[in-house]
Amino acid sequence: MITLTELQTDALAEMFNVGAGHAAASLSEIVGDEVLLSIPRIAFCRRDEIGASLALLRSERLGAVRQDFSGAFSVNASLLFTEDKALEIVREMLGSQVSVDDLPEFEQEAMCELGNIILNACMASISEMLGVEMTSTLPQYFVNRTETVLDELTSDMQQPVVLVLHIDLTIEKRETHGALVFLLSSASFHELIAAVDRFLARI
Amino acid sequence: MSSAPPKTLLIVDDSRVSRMMIRTLVVARKPQWTVQECESGDEALVRLAQGVPDYVTMDINMPGTIGTDVAERILQAYPQVRMVVFSANVQAAHQARAAAMGACFVPKPVSERNVQLALNFFDGAA
Repeated sequence: MITLTELQTDALAEMFNVGAGHAAASLSEIVGDEVLLSIPRIAFCRRDEIGASLALLRSERLGAVRQDFSGAFSVNASLLFTEDKALEIVREMLGSQVSVDDLPEFEQEAMCELGNIILNACMASISEMLGVEMTSTLPQYFVNRTETVLDELTSDMQQPVVLVLHIDLTIEKRETHGALVFLLSSASFHELIAAVDRFLARI
Repeated sequence: MSSAPPKTLLIVDDSRVSRMMIRTLVVARKPQWTVQECESGDEALVRLAQGVPDYVTMDINMPGTIGTDVAERILQAYPQVRMVVFSANVQAAHQARAAAMGACFVPKPVSERNVQLALNFFDGAA
């Protein structure tokens, strides 16, 4: 396990909570109802520990929206939901505009937009509070067997550090659980923590 | 030199970093103020029984009772308190609820600009 000080953890958690708050407001505008989006805890782990960290998401298949961010440090960010939950979210986002039969057709686009909103809101909050600039790639969505998704996520040996954030997302009274997974190289992890320390020193 | 008596501000936020940032930015502008902190809304309700602050900043998403419920209870019991709901939960519903109870909604992140918005609201009461 990778351990941070209480203050470092608190600072990062607050940055993600601010991001989640802004993402929830954007999603709320899309669905026309209140959205609850909370990040109850954050934890760093090693690449080979990711399976245990995501035990709550145990499902045969996962949907993942992936986006890469680069700047002061580089992060491969992914939003994960079990496939059935992903379709439920798409249904809530599109409402009655699309028939149930047509939902899978819109899944790709809707999940990319959801990932784009949540991942960018989190990274925007981090870059704003840390005073660093980040650019991102376009979101990509893929669905596959859980093992395949996790293998794919952790295939890059250059990125051994994983930040896992569990998120609770409630849209129109439907509660779903997902996870945000951020992969960093050792160098990027140390850059991130150094930036957090500089941020804390300014308070 | 102002002859106004020093004011007391209570910061209610479960994030220690947020409390530190709000305190630092407020004290830089209002060095004569007394600043107190609580980690939750429930702790704030207990604290108020011992003394009522002039001003409160209230986070929304905290363990225990959510901040907007606590803010409403405080304003019902102590309507003289000036309340800022200071939260990352920036959805219209929360902003409307804050306005309805007579509080001022200020969005997070904690920044110089946003703390100044809170202070403007507090100063408006002076």
